[in-house]
Amino acid sequence: MIEERIKELTQQIVQRFKDSGYDVNAKEVEKRLKLLILEFKVPESEAKRTITNYLLKELDIPRESLITESELVKVADITKPNQWVSLKVKVVQLWDSNSPSISQVGLVGDETGTIKFVIWAKADKDPVEEGKCYLFKNVVTDSFAGRMQINVNKNSEISEIDEEITLPPREIEVVGALISIQQNSGLIRRCKTCNRVMSKGVCPIHGKVEGYDDLRIKGVIDDGENVYEVVLNEQNIKNLTGIGLKEAKEIAEEFLDRTAVLAELKKRLLGKYFKLVGDRGERYLIVKNIEFLRIDVKKEVEKLINSLEA
Amino acid sequence: MTTFRRREVARRIFATEFNKATHKLQDDEERSPVYVLTPLGLRCNRVFVVGALLEKEEVRPDSGIWRIRVSDPTGVFLGFVGRYQPEALESLLEIEPPELVAIAAKVRVFEGDRTMVFLRPENIAVVTSDVRDYWVVETAKATIGRIENFEKGDDDDVKLARQIYSVDLNEYRNAVKQALLTIMESFVEPEEIEEEIEEEETEEEEIEDLDLEFEFEEEEWDLSDLLKEE
Repeated sequence: MIEERIKELTQQIVQRFKDSGYDVNAKEVEKRLKLLILEFKVPESEAKRTITNYLLKELDIPRESLITESELVKVADITKPNQWVSLKVKVVQLWDSNSPSISQVGLVGDETGTIKFVIWAKADKDPVEEGKCYLFKNVVTDSFAGRMQINVNKNSEISEIDEEITLPPREIEVVGALISIQQNSGLIRRCKTCNRVMSKGVCPIHGKVEGYDDLRIKGVIDDGENVYEVVLNEQNIKNLTGIGLKEAKEIAEEFLDRTAVLAELKKRLLGKYFKLVGDRGERYLIVKNIEFLRIDVKKEVEKLINSLEA
Repeated sequence: MTTFRRREVARRIFATEFNKATHKLQDDEERSPVYVLTPLGLRCNRVFVVGALLEKEEVRPDSGIWRIRVSDPTGVFLGFVGRYQPEALESLLEIEPPELVAIAAKVRVFEGDRTMVFLRPENIAVVTSDVRDYWVVETAKATIGRIENFEKGDDDDVKLARQIYSVDLNEYRNAVKQALLTIMESFVEPEEIEEEIEEEETEEEEIEDLDLEFEFEEEEWDLSDLLKEE
């Protein structure tokens, strides 16, 4: 099984060099692959990259002359980590990078969806600009905190393209049932420095710090066809339930238990239908406006009965 | 290597279609989700149900596993709640049947002498009748959509369903219509109420029938595996 896979990988590497006009020794490639994969247990993609780099150095070939052949894919096709792909995307958003090893981080997208991207400082690329469209060639897919992302490294190429890519509308309207409210909802505490949610008085970045109270709901709206992970802020919650931050603190004090707030919110909101408008983010739908669904059920029922009798 | 898996959609389905499902679908891949294929060709792993919680009963004293029966206008869903569903269990213990509830649940298949499907609730919430009314509308729409899709018959899952089940589409059309009519009853004027009461009685009888159909000895089952998280 693994032997076959190594033959396959060997073939891929040899072919890549051949396509660029260079002949490499397949036996040599296979020997090195075996050493790295079987002996040293190096992941396939790393082994492939290491050997490619070795060959480039050995044959004294400039990297640019190596034709790359990563498949051109759509954002929605990216479901597995460690795949080399190419994408035509628009830069939707640039985020603040909080690490010196990251040159740029943000969101890119095409007509099928959006995905987080990371350009490593080591990749040494010219910066991309929000709103412009690019071909991201030879980037590596990765999964981070359960979500897919793409990484731009030294071997990747970014070039601006003269094509307009239309993204699915960011703002959408949804009618569906709130079928789940996550445990980390309700009266929460955030870090004063970075606004992250703290757990037992500890911020995941800044450790034991003073925090401030906030009210939020992370939940799932499901319309029977699609699933939307939603975030409701204090204002959304207050509009729906009359419970704002002040009222939530009062509930917590009365029961001497902060989780009493979550229990109360669940009682009022879980299993009910809502109509909402929100902005689609990388993962969550950030709710702008949400209300209990009000609908003329009688009219709907009559319509359906008529359609059945037709 | 972890492959990113999308959250399963909670399907809208009436008890009459759900209870006839016997066919389990699962990929060979480890830990891949379990689906049931319904007679109308719906592949479902999670459902959202709104109906009347008729009964809750501990399977055996101190077993910590509760059997529930939840009725929609077309029939009864069977469900089991155990310690692996703390959120659902917590709310269930506070609810006294009969009560109108909304349930988000995983679909489980019991394969014994006879195959049957049941709900493994993730959470249970008490709701008002307007939620139930909208659920019936939504579920009627979804079912009509499936009936139309079944008639076309080019969908792979529909093709499979045709092979496995003998389906009389009129049965499902009638069930949808019956469900919609029970909702219409709540809009009738007060002077027509006598008639409404009669209707309700006949409905109760139907529920009794279903009750008999669902008699079985779950004491003999080992439910613990089926109730675990995936």
